[in-house]
Amino acid sequence: MKTPILLVLLLTAIAQAQIKNPHTTKEDVAAGARIFRSHCADCHGITGQGGKGPALNTGQFFHGASDQALLKNISDGIEGTAMPSQFFSPDQIWQVVAFVRTLAVKGSATAPPGNPQNGAKLFREKGCINCHLVKGEGGVNGPELSFIGSQRPADAIRKSIEDPNAQVDQAYWQADIILENSTPYKGFLMNEDTYNVQLLHPAQGLLTLPKRNFRKFEIKKTSAMPAFNGNPAELQDLVAYLWSLQRTRRPE
Amino acid sequence: MKLAIILAATAALTFAQANWPTYSGAYNGWRHSQLDQINRSNVDKLKVAWVYQMPVTERIETTPIVIDGIMYLSEPPSNVVALDAETGRPYWRYRRNLPEKINVCCGQVNRGVAVSGDRVFVGTVDAHLVALHAKTGAVLWDIPVADSKTGYSLTGAPLIVKDMVITGVAGGEYGVRGFLDAYDMKTGKRRWRFWTIPEPGQPGSNTWTGDAWKHGGAPTWVTGAFDPEQNLIIWGTGNPSPDWNGDVRPGDNLYSDSAIALDADTGKLKWHYQFVPHDVHDWDATQVPVLVDADWQGKPRKLVYWAHRNGFFYVLDRTTGEFLLGKAFATQTWNNGFTKEGRPIRKPNIDPSPEGTYVWPGVQGATNWYSPSYSPKTGFFYLTAWENKGLYRKGDAEYIPGNRFIGSVPEIDLPEEPGWGAIRALNPKTGERIWEHKMHTKPWSGVLTTAGNVLFGSTGGWISREKTAMESYFFALDAESGKELWHINLGGTMASNPMTFSVKGKQMVIMPAGSGVFAFALP
Repeated sequence: MKTPILLVLLLTAIAQAQIKNPHTTKEDVAAGARIFRSHCADCHGITGQGGKGPALNTGQFFHGASDQALLKNISDGIEGTAMPSQFFSPDQIWQVVAFVRTLAVKGSATAPPGNPQNGAKLFREKGCINCHLVKGEGGVNGPELSFIGSQRPADAIRKSIEDPNAQVDQAYWQADIILENSTPYKGFLMNEDTYNVQLLHPAQGLLTLPKRNFRKFEIKKTSAMPAFNGNPAELQDLVAYLWSLQRTRRPE
Repeated sequence: MKLAIILAATAALTFAQANWPTYSGAYNGWRHSQLDQINRSNVDKLKVAWVYQMPVTERIETTPIVIDGIMYLSEPPSNVVALDAETGRPYWRYRRNLPEKINVCCGQVNRGVAVSGDRVFVGTVDAHLVALHAKTGAVLWDIPVADSKTGYSLTGAPLIVKDMVITGVAGGEYGVRGFLDAYDMKTGKRRWRFWTIPEPGQPGSNTWTGDAWKHGGAPTWVTGAFDPEQNLIIWGTGNPSPDWNGDVRPGDNLYSDSAIALDADTGKLKWHYQFVPHDVHDWDATQVPVLVDADWQGKPRKLVYWAHRNGFFYVLDRTTGEFLLGKAFATQTWNNGFTKEGRPIRKPNIDPSPEGTYVWPGVQGATNWYSPSYSPKTGFFYLTAWENKGLYRKGDAEYIPGNRFIGSVPEIDLPEEPGWGAIRALNPKTGERIWEHKMHTKPWSGVLTTAGNVLFGSTGGWISREKTAMESYFFALDAESGKELWHINLGGTMASNPMTFSVKGKQMVIMPAGSGVFAFALP
C-alpha cells in the first residue's frame, strides 16, 4: 500500500516541476519587446497597461502565472477569450514571456480612487444592473461584468462608461433586420452564417432567422448602452466598484 | 462471345468509375467522377449512410481512396484505417508511434494514402514513408525520407506512378531544402530525388545568394498530377524560407512557388514556371495541377490549369511550360500584369514591413491547398476562393534547426474585416467568371464535380473562437448554373476535399467534418 502512494506522490512532484524560461538575457527581453509591440500591444497596451485586453503589468495572470503557463497561453491562445494563438517558435515565445515579466509595475494592482460601496449602489440606481450581470444578478442585454476588474484596467472601464462605443464586443453588435413580409427584428447578433442569422431579441429571446426571407439586414457595430448621466464623483465611485470585481486565480 | 466481351468491357468501365483510386480521383487532377446516380434532380434527397468517427483530435484533411468496396484513409497524425466502404466499419488500423517533438507548422495532419495492388503507402509527420499490407495493415517497409528534427515532415498523399511511389515533403516554415522523391514500390529503395532548390553550379542556382539555398524552403506538400503520354510528373512547390523576410535570400529563389515538370523515370526537370519570383507573402504553388487537352486559340494543345494562392488563374503549355494566360479570379493588389514571358509585374509597396502592409489576398491566399475541379461535361474550372486581405509584417529571421524560420508573423484574420468565401466557376479559355456561390465564411475545403452535373463543396468550417468563422455546411450546387440544390450542417471543422465512389451499385459522397467522416447516399 505504501509503495503506490509514494509513487503517486513522486509522479505528482514530477508533474508539478515547472519548466523555467530558458531565454531571459537582456537580448532576449529586447527581442521579446519587439514581438510584443507588433503583436500584443494592440490589446494589452504598449507598456502592458491593458486596453482591449487585460493589463499585464499587475504581476497577476489569472490564466496561470508560471513560465510554462505563459508559454502555453501565448502559443495556443486562451479558449473562451479573445486571446489568439501566436505562430512563433517556442524560443521566440519565451522571449515574449521574458519581456512580459519586466512589465510588472509596483502599485499597478492597487485600487483606483473612489468609494466602491457607493459605486455598487449607483450600479443599481443608474440602471446598469438591468443590462449587466454581476455574480448571478442582473440583465443579459450587455456583457457580464462579474470579473471586469480582472479583465480591464480602471482607465478602460472609465472610458467604456463615458463613451460606450469605445470598444464594443462582437457579441453585442446589433442586427437590424426587416423580413420580406415587413416584420422588423432588432437584437444582438449572436452568430451569422451563410444561411442564417442568430439573435438575442430583447422580447423573444434566442431566435434563428433564415436570410433568404430578409429584405433588409444591417449590422450596427455601435453600443446599445446609453452614455453615462452622472457627475464625476459618481463616475469615480462606479469605476472603483467595477474594478473591485476581481477574479481570484485558480491554484496552480 | 461478342456479348460476353461487351459485358466484360462494360463491367470494367463501371468498375473503374466505381473506384476513387488516387488523391484527386485520377492522374489528371480533375477531382471529377463519371458517376451520375446522384444528380441534379435527386441530390436534395441525400441522407447520411454512415459516419466513421476517428479516435483523434487533430484536424482531418484526408481524401479517402476506395478500391473495390474497401476504403483506405489516413487519420491524423499519421495513422491509416481500412473500412468497409458500404458500412463504414473498420477492418484494420495502423497506428504510428511518433517522437514527442514533431516539427509541423500547421497541425499534425495527413491528406491521404496511395494504394497499389496489395500495398498502401502513407507519409508520416516524422518524415517517413511507410508501406502497409492492404489486407492487414502490417508494415512491409518503413524508410526515413528526411530528418524530421530539422523540420521535414510528410503530410501530403503519395502518388503511384508506374512502379514507384512519389512523395513530397513539408517544412517551408522551418527552412528545409525542398525535394520530390520517387521510391521503388516493392523495396522502398529510392529511385531519384529532385531538389527543388539547385545547389551552387546547377542551373537556377544564380537565383540564390550565399548559403540561403541550404535553408530556402520550396517544399512539395500537395499531391501533383501525372501525364502518362509525356511521362511527366507535374507538381507544385511551396514558399521560399523565411516566408515574410526576403532580405536573406536576394534573387528569384528558384524553384520556389513554381510548377515543375519532371521526367517520371529520371526525375530530371523538363520545364518549370515560377508563379511568384522572390515571394515574400507565403504564396505557395501547392495546388493540384489540372491537366486538360483542349483547344487553345484554335489549335489543340496540352494544357495545365492552375488556380494559384496569389489570386490568379493560369494556363500553361504542358509540353514546354510556356505561359499562356494569367487572369485574376479574386481581388488582388500586388500585380500590374505580366511580361510576354509570363513574369508578374509587381506593384510598388507590397512588401511586408515592421509596421505591417495591407495586401490582397491575405496570407492564406485567394485559394490554398484544397482541390479545384474540372468537369468535362460543362468545360468549367471550379475552385474555392477567398476574398480577403492580410496585414503582412516583417521581422527577424534567424535559422535555427528545428525552429520556425519565417521572419515575423502576419495577421491572418482581421477581426474588423474577416473576408468571405465563394465557389467560383471559370471559363478556362479566358479565366472569366461564369458564376459564383457566395459564403459568409472562408472555406478550407476543395470541390468535387460529377457527371450528374453536381458540384459538392463546403463552407468555412474551421472551428475557432471567432464565432463568425464557424459554420460547417456541406452543400451541392448545380455545376452548370451554380444554383444551390442541397445543404446540411455537419457541425465540425471541415478541411478536406469531398470525393465520391460506388459500392454494390450505390453511389456515395464523402465529406469529413470534426472527427467524423460522413458518407451520404440516396435512400
